[in-house]
Amino acid sequence: MKEELIISGRMNPMVDPVLNIWHWQIPLYLFLGGVAAGILFFASLYFIMGREKKYPAAIKWAPLLTPFLLVLGLAALFLDLNHKTFFWQLYLTIRLESPMSWGAWTLMVITPLSIIWSATWLKELIPGWHWKYPFLDQWEAWFIRHRLILAWIMLISAVILGVYTGILLSAFNARPLWNTSILGPLFFASSLSTGAAVIMLMAKSHLERNIFSRIDLMMIGIELFLIVHMFMGFQASTQVQIDAANMFLGGPYTEVFWIFVVFIGLLVPAILEALELLGYKIPIIITSTLVLTGGLFLRFIIVYAGQASRYLY
Amino acid sequence: METISKPKATRYLNPYIGGVLLGLVLLAANFIAGRGLGASGAIKSVVVATTQTVAPGYAEHAKFFKEYKEEHSGSPMKNWLVFQMLGVVVGGFVSGALAGRLKFKVEHSPKITSRRRLVFALLGGIFFGIGSQLGRGCTSGSALSGMAVLSFGGIITMMAIFGGAYALAYFFRRNWI
Repeated sequence: MKEELIISGRMNPMVDPVLNIWHWQIPLYLFLGGVAAGILFFASLYFIMGREKKYPAAIKWAPLLTPFLLVLGLAALFLDLNHKTFFWQLYLTIRLESPMSWGAWTLMVITPLSIIWSATWLKELIPGWHWKYPFLDQWEAWFIRHRLILAWIMLISAVILGVYTGILLSAFNARPLWNTSILGPLFFASSLSTGAAVIMLMAKSHLERNIFSRIDLMMIGIELFLIVHMFMGFQASTQVQIDAANMFLGGPYTEVFWIFVVFIGLLVPAILEALELLGYKIPIIITSTLVLTGGLFLRFIIVYAGQASRYLY
Repeated sequence: METISKPKATRYLNPYIGGVLLGLVLLAANFIAGRGLGASGAIKSVVVATTQTVAPGYAEHAKFFKEYKEEHSGSPMKNWLVFQMLGVVVGGFVSGALAGRLKFKVEHSPKITSRRRLVFALLGGIFFGIGSQLGRGCTSGSALSGMAVLSFGGIITMMAIFGGAYALAYFFRRNWI
């Protein structure tokens, strides 16, 4: 028999609140939604800027993936729900103060938009593509005429989607690791970086690959800046925030965060992109895979560590 | 810029300088991390972690895994050598990029096929893996790091590895020359 000395009621199980409700579904969705937001952001931005000829991968090819990414992400979200049959009730209400309501409505806008946007390019991208019903041709013509409006709506909803994934977590006041305003910009920067990585992978021209390599490098710089400042902010705050930061500075998440997110997911791809810009030949698949892996790890670690962080100490 | 954008595909370091640099890496590892270099240890960690996940019952009772668990606390993947190997992969990749050698290819003697080279590399790897466990370390972990701290075992390992290679090279020479 193992002898135990009870010195505090806190030693009893379940006295301290433990959050263990979000598993792989949530971080996977945050990642997939982020990648889709990044791709659609660049697609609409460069379309509005009139770079259709210059950046075909960003405007036409990469968005073809986004309906799948979004639907997969939404399927993961759906799996996470406790009361799956009630999900539609999210669409009976609008709550401006709830990030989850913002997210639900943004997804309601951006998912159909991503499908429409992709569909309007299909004829151009796939020779011999034709719609089965004539009314689809009419719709297509109408959407193609109004592409600029589509692009503007898509740009705005992509920014909201990218930022909300971070805000969703920072709205949890009771989790000190999440309760920082840096998570929104950090997740948005990561979603732009992962989106650029996918575009880089699909780009055929050297010019397009080069420009997205530069964008990605810049985003990695911003992410590193935000990560450093997030920890500085925690360290300068109260004991609970210091404890939250210490999970990454010597605690259980130290190795996995600094090695897989910061080193392999940010620093190594940054070095490879810099080398490529200097003229060295680097297989783009390696750089892109590292960036995407880093983004995935970031979501997983922040979601898991955030649930472990708490106000009691 | 011209020289950078078209690096020569055969830019290898002088092996003597490479050897000295490797020694300095070992010195740096001992100085910074307090640990020597190793390769088979990382593989061992991966093998132990995989076995513990796939067949936990077997890992609990088999002698090799039981001994590992008694000697090491915590997760087998949270190990200096595993992280060091990750660094080796990254560093090797960057070095290959700098020398313009990033290509998928099998290097072998012109007299043998790629397939033969791969089969022999796999066989050699398996023998070396078994040998490194019997000898408690491989070329880097036991011979290199061991000899650097004047370990007698390290010297014996080095002599055995190189002596064994010299003795058997005659029989396998046709794979190379």
